Amino acid sequence: MKITILYGTETGNAEMLAEDIQSEIEADHEIAISNLEDFAPGEFDAECFYLLVCSTYGDGDLPASAQPFADAMEAEKPDLGAIHFAIFGLGDSEYDETFNHGPKKLAELMIAHGAHQVGERVAHDASGSDMAEDLAFPWAEAVIAEVSEKLGEAA
Amino acid sequence: MSGKIAIVGAGPSGCYLAQALLKKAPDLQVDLVDQLPVPYGLVRYGVAADHQGTKGVARQFARVFERQGARFFGNVAIGRDVTLDQLRAAYDVVVLAAGLSADRKLGVPGDDLPGVYGAGRLTRALFEHPEAEDLPDLGAHPVIVGNGNVAIDLLRLLAKAPDELDGSDLGEGPSRWLAESGIETITITGRSPAARAKFDAVMVKELAKLSDVRIEVVGAGDSDDATEMKTLEALSAIHGHGAGAKRITFRFGLTPKAVEGEGRAQAVRFASETGEEVIPCTSVLTAIGFEAAPGLPRDVLISEATDTEAGRLAPGLFAAGWFRRGPRGTIPENRADAKALASVILDGLSADPSRVGCEVFDGLDNIVDYAGWCRIDAAETEAAPEGRCRTKLATRETMLGVAGARETTK
Ligand SMILES: Cc1cc2nc3c(=O)[nH]c(=O)nc-3n(C[C@H](O)[C@H](O)[C@H](O)COP(=O)(O)O)c2cc1C
Repeated sequence: MKITILYGTETGNAEMLAEDIQSEIEADHEIAISNLEDFAPGEFDAECFYLLVCSTYGDGDLPASAQPFADAMEAEKPDLGAIHFAIFGLGDSEYDETFNHGPKKLAELMIAHGAHQVGERVAHDASGSDMAEDLAFPWAEAVIAEVSEKLGEAA
Repeated sequence: MSGKIAIVGAGPSGCYLAQALLKKAPDLQVDLVDQLPVPYGLVRYGVAADHQGTKGVARQFARVFERQGARFFGNVAIGRDVTLDQLRAAYDVVVLAAGLSADRKLGVPGDDLPGVYGAGRLTRALFEHPEAEDLPDLGAHPVIVGNGNVAIDLLRLLAKAPDELDGSDLGEGPSRWLAESGIETITITGRSPAARAKFDAVMVKELAKLSDVRIEVVGAGDSDDATEMKTLEALSAIHGHGAGAKRITFRFGLTPKAVEGEGRAQAVRFASETGEEVIPCTSVLTAIGFEAAPGLPRDVLISEATDTEAGRLAPGLFAAGWFRRGPRGTIPENRADAKALASVILDGLSADPSRVGCEVFDGLDNIVDYAGWCRIDAAETEAAPEGRCRTKLATRETMLGVAGARETTK
């Protein structure tokens, strides 16, 4: 399957996780990876499944590298009706009121432009005891299986 | 691309720089040199003990050593064990990322009275830096001078009830010191009006979680600027919070004029909009910025720099992070800076294979390498008691012992 991993990060944790996910699944799939700040909404491709990895910063805001993408989405209003994505969030429950609001906002932005979310949004907690990859690898496997089934493809 | 690069200071700026350099040019030899036996600088000793999530970036830094091939030379002080000139001769590029660790002083009469303590001195002691001075007695009524995130960190730690430190890595001694501090009131003062206070709104909001405090915000004023309004909203959200034992008062628009007292700080005299005001206290905690510690001649280097903005000090010599910019900006700014500097360095890099690289450290005793740090890290994590995620080794000797640093590494 063609998969593009897009990450939004402020201090690099989401970037490292995105690269880990890439290494984990690249044997079985055709993978591209990009920082959201280097990705334009016009590049979305219906043939491709998108894995979004995004943290939260400030006061429940998108991290810096996701901000230009969000602005471009608002400005260009692309029709993402043929796009499927899944999203994994990084946050910290110390910020309880805004825990994982960044990825939540990013998912809402995708959906508002017609994109279809596959699976539930999974959230890593920097104050918890799990390693991000221990949550993210099973998540990636599950959403890839789900989208393969949905699109009638062999995984 | 090949080449030998030494980064002085294995804190967040140095580590992000090594990460960015090796991402762009995986064949470089990047050596991180630190005067402490342990890496990660302010991630270990500056980010507050109760902000473990923020310390998570250390996992990225571990990768820089484990997968990207950077090497760690801990317990090596440039300027003492090896001179800067020797280091520059040995490497194609030297980057100074040693941070700024000395407390800026108030610069008013009485600022050196006993009872006046800098935030760096206090946080080093709280977070068990091996060169920390003892934790002093602050008395019942400390006044914090400063309105940045460091001031808020200090305020929050001093105000926390013991069980609110669960999950942190605050050591046994500092935990006991806090529990027995006898603090009744904390007044925190800023020179600017509240709207222009430097702390982040989220740092202020976090104070609303404190269980044993009563918070009063005096004279916050108003504003119609969006960023300023965020700060004011955060302050108004904590105003009136709690009915606990420790009384916290936020004051603004107060410029310190003198620290007064008989042989010890007993009051701070401020200039205010309406004239003067004297706030009695038992100690004065200053959190008004940092400056270079002795060791590297930062002032000279910066004043003679070719292009400070680009981080270029002299041919083959660069500066990164706080050492270049001054004590402004947190982890994200330093990461962005490091990425930009990596491009500047690589653009101008021409490797000279005759440079000896780390051989310049030959003959030095007790160098701690990355494996040595891993032994320290494992020992600290294993020794964590109930309610803590780590017990730091607090002296250089114990660190060197656990690291198994060899005499004269080759
Ligand atoms: C200043 C600051 C603000 C943060 N704000 C939030 C927040 O509002 N909600 C949340 O869930 N996590 C928050 N976090 C936690 C980060 O999302 C978490 O540390 C994550 O691992 C960072 O990933 P990144 O390095 O890819 O940006 C914050 C962290 C910092 C340092």
